Amino acid sequence: MTSLQTPLSSDPQRGAQGRGATPGDKVTLRVAIIGNPNTGKTTLFNALTGLRQRVGNFAGVTVERVEGSFRGPDGQRVTVLDLPGSYSLSAGSPDEQIALDVLLGRDRDRWRPDVVLVVMDSVHIDRNLFLASQVIELGVPVVVALNQFDVAELEGVVIDVPELIHELGVPVVPTVAKRGEGIEPLKRALFIAAGLPAPFRRFSLPDAADDALAPLRECLIADGLVPSAAAMEALRLLGSSKTDAHLKDVPGLAAALVSSSDALRAAGFTPARFESEVRYRWIGEVTGRTVARRVNPGRSLSDRIDAIALHRIYGPILFLLVMVLVFQSVFSWATPLMNAIETVIGAAGRTVGSLLPPGDLRSLVVDGVFAGVGSVLVFLPQIAILFTVIGVLEHSGYMSRAAYLMDRVMRRVGLHGKSFIPMLSGYACAVPGIMATRTIEDPKDRLATIMVVPLMSCSARLPVYTLLIGAFVPPISLIPGISLQGMTMLVMYLLGTFVALGIAAIFKRTLLKGPVRPMILELPPFRWPSPRSLAISVAQRCQLFLRRAGTVILSLSIVLWALATYPKVQVDQSLPIAAQQEQQLEHSILGHIGHGIEPFVRPLGYDWKIGVSIAASFAAREVFVSTMGTIYGVGDTGGDDAALQTRLRQERNAVTGKAAYTPLIAIGLMVFYVFALMCMSTIAVTVREAGGGRIGWSWAALQFGYMLGLAYGSAWLVYAGGKALGLGG
Amino acid sequence: MPPVIALPTLQNNDTPPARTTCALAACGPGSRATVVDIECSADEACRLRALGLCEGISVNVIDSRHAMLLEVRGTRLALGSAIAAGITVRPQSAQA
Repeated sequence: MTSLQTPLSSDPQRGAQGRGATPGDKVTLRVAIIGNPNTGKTTLFNALTGLRQRVGNFAGVTVERVEGSFRGPDGQRVTVLDLPGSYSLSAGSPDEQIALDVLLGRDRDRWRPDVVLVVMDSVHIDRNLFLASQVIELGVPVVVALNQFDVAELEGVVIDVPELIHELGVPVVPTVAKRGEGIEPLKRALFIAAGLPAPFRRFSLPDAADDALAPLRECLIADGLVPSAAAMEALRLLGSSKTDAHLKDVPGLAAALVSSSDALRAAGFTPARFESEVRYRWIGEVTGRTVARRVNPGRSLSDRIDAIALHRIYGPILFLLVMVLVFQSVFSWATPLMNAIETVIGAAGRTVGSLLPPGDLRSLVVDGVFAGVGSVLVFLPQIAILFTVIGVLEHSGYMSRAAYLMDRVMRRVGLHGKSFIPMLSGYACAVPGIMATRTIEDPKDRLATIMVVPLMSCSARLPVYTLLIGAFVPPISLIPGISLQGMTMLVMYLLGTFVALGIAAIFKRTLLKGPVRPMILELPPFRWPSPRSLAISVAQRCQLFLRRAGTVILSLSIVLWALATYPKVQVDQSLPIAAQQEQQLEHSILGHIGHGIEPFVRPLGYDWKIGVSIAASFAAREVFVSTMGTIYGVGDTGGDDAALQTRLRQERNAVTGKAAYTPLIAIGLMVFYVFALMCMSTIAVTVREAGGGRIGWSWAALQFGYMLGLAYGSAWLVYAGGKALGLGG
Repeated sequence: MPPVIALPTLQNNDTPPARTTCALAACGPGSRATVVDIECSADEACRLRALGLCEGISVNVIDSRHAMLLEVRGTRLALGSAIAAGITVRPQSAQA
């Protein structure tokens, strides 16, 4: 059990597998971080690795995989993998399954940690020790970080660290990740632990129980587990009714589980609760010797906030206020920054343009690249603000309260409170939103949530809303601080949200009929979010957006520019410049495509130019704006959003001679974008998350189809209904 | 040699529930109770135990309007009413 390990990369093959490792830059130590949700695990991960992080997915699944690195005291490279938050290794959710697979070396990437860092919340050490005690038995060196040590002290929890080290048999380091305290000692401890013997179970089972579990243990050892990990797995499997996917192929396991359970029952124990009984009994003894609590600490600040946040009347009011604040901040606070970016890009475009000789190359750079990418880049401040606000809600602990408050509403449509978090994440982006459904255990609830998450207005719709609202909704102040523009934005978000709930109800009553799974949710204490950690995650998201703008949108902008520019036609030089551009555009490939689409979009009041923009944005919504930038930017200089808004207001329909964009058309267009699923990434994630293969594709096709139908129908209803009511159009 | 964990066996902890037990769902705000038995699906029971809610633990009921809001081992848990209905508890007297 105490075999000496030499993990410091004596195996060159393992070093070479490290993600992000460059030749000659060998990974010397691999660390996996695991911990309960809300322990400050990600903050600690950010404190260890800073911005040296890579975001991806675990092979074969879409659980987000974040890997970072730092240099050891002698320049050694340490890679750190942030495992999903888990309460135990019981593999109840896909997230916990991944964590267990990685720790047992069963991850498809074959990434095996040399040291496991268990992050514990010092305030709730007994609950956190449950997971720690499981990890300690896996036969891999362990370091425990006692995080939020300062909060524990404040709340009168005194932990005898040397005694805890003695009890757990692994290094224990107090940390305050938020302030970067304890990080250096923690780094040293990771190196020390790597050279220590593997830790082992710190208690023994009663003899009768130990004998009863022997068949199960032997079966797992025969399958290749080290004895200590087999003992942990044997105990764990008793509590789960099923054997997990990764154990399905272990020969004789099911039979061994039955015989061990029977023997345990015969010895007078209850198999289902046996693991929790022994572990909590041991935890009680350990904390009895290592933790002193001040008696009756009184009502904490967090409890006092909860008294308001969860209040029958004030709770929902606060919730609504928070939601209004979210949308107002995204729309109003970003404006100065957006104006600044616009000015810079416009100036850069003109400067670069003036350096190039007039002709196609200048047009490509100025009208294709700068106008196209620039019109999307301008939304970076809004995306950063949105992710910051969602991050603050999540890190502060309010998000769980929102899920608790929303449980009643969600239950009415057949979902539960947990579906609220993926849906709220959907406001930022449907991709992480759909990925966040992994915390929902029931497959039907998960699928119903996946099907409606893309209806939540994501950040990619923001550019479309902003452009159209800015151009067609007057900036009238309704009450101080709240403008008509902000309210229009809120209405678009609410429209998506309510329809999402309605569609979920339909799914749960038809295709995905099933009982509603009851809620089990932790409401973590309210905490101040760590600005540094928050900044790192916001920077990460912005980077992903920029990469998208730099690759997908850049290439699409260039393609669109070419389609709008060629073939060249002889234009009537006596016409005004705008009319010349119109002539050129109309005879270009893009013009022909637009005319082909026109019959389909005419019932919605759109002309061929809007048709082109919609068609071009089927891969990614934000391309709508860059396409408009390209279409109307042809011959102009720079991708200035305000200039584009002015052009839209002035634009005339070539057939009718009336304004091409009336407020009614603009509203219809926004409604179209509220519902239409125009995002390749979302479709790809839905396919994978809905089961992959034919099943996944069928669900994705259904999602795309119903959303397109909804979009077209609603836009038509707005346009035709508005006209019938005499609202113009 | 690590210490052996002493556990009560079936004979003494599986006695028929005393008349003083009730469903957790029946406990009002402000009450305190000890968990006697958890009756729900294996997955849900596993989750509850990992969250610290296991047989023998004391819980404080904070709210019981549309869902149960509990304090368990110093953390707050929200449980749907269906789960709370499957948890048997022994209410503690107010003095305790």
